[in-house]
Amino acid sequence: MTSGISMNAGSGSSDGTPSQCRALGCRVDPGTDLVSVFFAEHQAADLLRDVARSGKLAVVFSDPPTHRTVQVKGSDARRVPLAEGDLARVAAYRTAFLQCLLPLGFTEPMVRTFLDCPDSSLVALAFTPEAAFNQTPGAQAGSPLVLGV
Amino acid sequence: MLPTRALRDCLDGVIPGVVSTCAADGTPNVAYMSQGQYLDRQHLALSYQFFNRTRQNILANPRATLGLIHPQTAQQYRVHLTYQRTETTGPVFESMKAKLAGIASHTGMSGVFRLLGSDIYRIDRVEVVPGSTVAAPAPAMDGLSALRACMERLPASPDAESLLDALLDGLLEHFAIEHALVMMLDPGRSRLYTVASRGYETSGVGSEIPLGEGVIGVAARERVPIRISHMTSEYAYGRAMREGAEQRGLGDLLETAIPFPGLAAPGSQLAVPIPGAREPIGVLFVESPSDMRFSHADEDALVALATQVGGLFRLFLAELELGEETQPATGQPPHPEGAPLRVRHYPANDSVFLGDDYLIKGVAGSILWTLLKDHQALGRTQFSNRELRADPRVRLPDQSDNLEARLVLLHRRLAEHRACVQMEKTGRGRFRLVVDRPLELEDMDPGA
Repeated sequence: MTSGISMNAGSGSSDGTPSQCRALGCRVDPGTDLVSVFFAEHQAADLLRDVARSGKLAVVFSDPPTHRTVQVKGSDARRVPLAEGDLARVAAYRTAFLQCLLPLGFTEPMVRTFLDCPDSSLVALAFTPEAAFNQTPGAQAGSPLVLGV
Repeated sequence: MLPTRALRDCLDGVIPGVVSTCAADGTPNVAYMSQGQYLDRQHLALSYQFFNRTRQNILANPRATLGLIHPQTAQQYRVHLTYQRTETTGPVFESMKAKLAGIASHTGMSGVFRLLGSDIYRIDRVEVVPGSTVAAPAPAMDGLSALRACMERLPASPDAESLLDALLDGLLEHFAIEHALVMMLDPGRSRLYTVASRGYETSGVGSEIPLGEGVIGVAARERVPIRISHMTSEYAYGRAMREGAEQRGLGDLLETAIPFPGLAAPGSQLAVPIPGAREPIGVLFVESPSDMRFSHADEDALVALATQVGGLFRLFLAELELGEETQPATGQPPHPEGAPLRVRHYPANDSVFLGDDYLIKGVAGSILWTLLKDHQALGRTQFSNRELRADPRVRLPDQSDNLEARLVLLHRRLAEHRACVQMEKTGRGRFRLVVDRPLELEDMDPGA
């Protein structure tokens, strides 16, 4: 989950309007299994607002070369301060995702641009995964995964 | 203003879109989109392949948010959508099905990706996500000026054959499209036949495909452009058709006697219907060995060109109906020398054989047989399109039938065959039959 894969998150407003934002990496805390996902604040305004209201968050992780895709959901998401090492994690994530996409024909400027965000704008949402689903395309898509496996 | 061009680029691009939805209880869901299609300024369609959580959610709560990244600029967009309905037949569904087959084949997902429906969404709002972008590279070609240059030549064409030449030459010169062909619809037989081509080893003029078969057949049947950016065997022409015909017998074998000229390993294909008064009169088809060769802008240009070609064909038809009656010229009775050539005509399918060589069948075969009979019996060499249209022996399926296209087909087949019979234009809607060898005409089943 913390490797160079594609990450996108979603929540929803009180009237059922979905919000969405691309994530810039994540951290899984050993022991607590708490997942912290990083975003550019200026891109995540709706998502941050919706999470602040409901705590609900869904994050989809996908490995572009293999299409392996997993979605993790929680209902206790909240904004947390960045921890020590998170800026380095985001930087490492960008490089890892770039390495993943270069063989697929993407260029470095392209990937760096859509993952670009000043460090000062990075924010984190932390949540406890309550459910996870296999979303790899195919008949098994949507099947629940046993957490911790 | 809605960034139409940018949205089309995003949906065409290689970066999958992301769809977020909410269940009735507000639980969010995020999923990758397999395929999206821009429909118009108010609508787009997303592929429905599995009854997944996204599907369940939009049926309970029709709101969806689609995240897109522009493939050249890295600009991110969020498109706020409301689900309207699902289409399981028709032009949108068929064009998405063809495109998805290409994507599935390209991504190793053949057999996994199958289109169950096209989910039609209303575009409520497009949000430009703040963030860094890169400058889009300057396009290698100005599509609009290429279209203008290509289009300017078309109305100057005096007849159908030179019109098709101008079209295909223009595509090569102004759009660098090296492999192209035009097929015309034979409505009575629900088949399309090739009348002109560029960039293939053999012209394939006279080759046929059934309506509904492959990208060309689907484009004609559904009256919609079909554009595939990665090729798939599901929409390929070739061996399977020939084998099927062999099993069906001789009549169908003739349909594959002239091989379809398409590329053996195409990467991209685009088929655009040439509109007629009601059904399409034909299809303009282009292809390339490269993946993702044809853009939405190319599709726009080809639709514009096909529309003009369709209009000019109708103009030729109108001119034919209004044209002056030409007197059949008796001329000098021809006396070619040499050993006579046996020419057989099979009325069952109007196939004509020169010696042992199959030349043509159908309406074009019936035209040739009529010309040869008059030539032999009356010594005639001069003919007009208009008289052929009215001649009951030609057996045109109906008055709106595209006689011009049949004559193009016949003329090209005779020329390619270097046959001892040739047609030479003598003026607008008129031609001369040139026979340089004595002929022995033999109707194989005159009583039929």
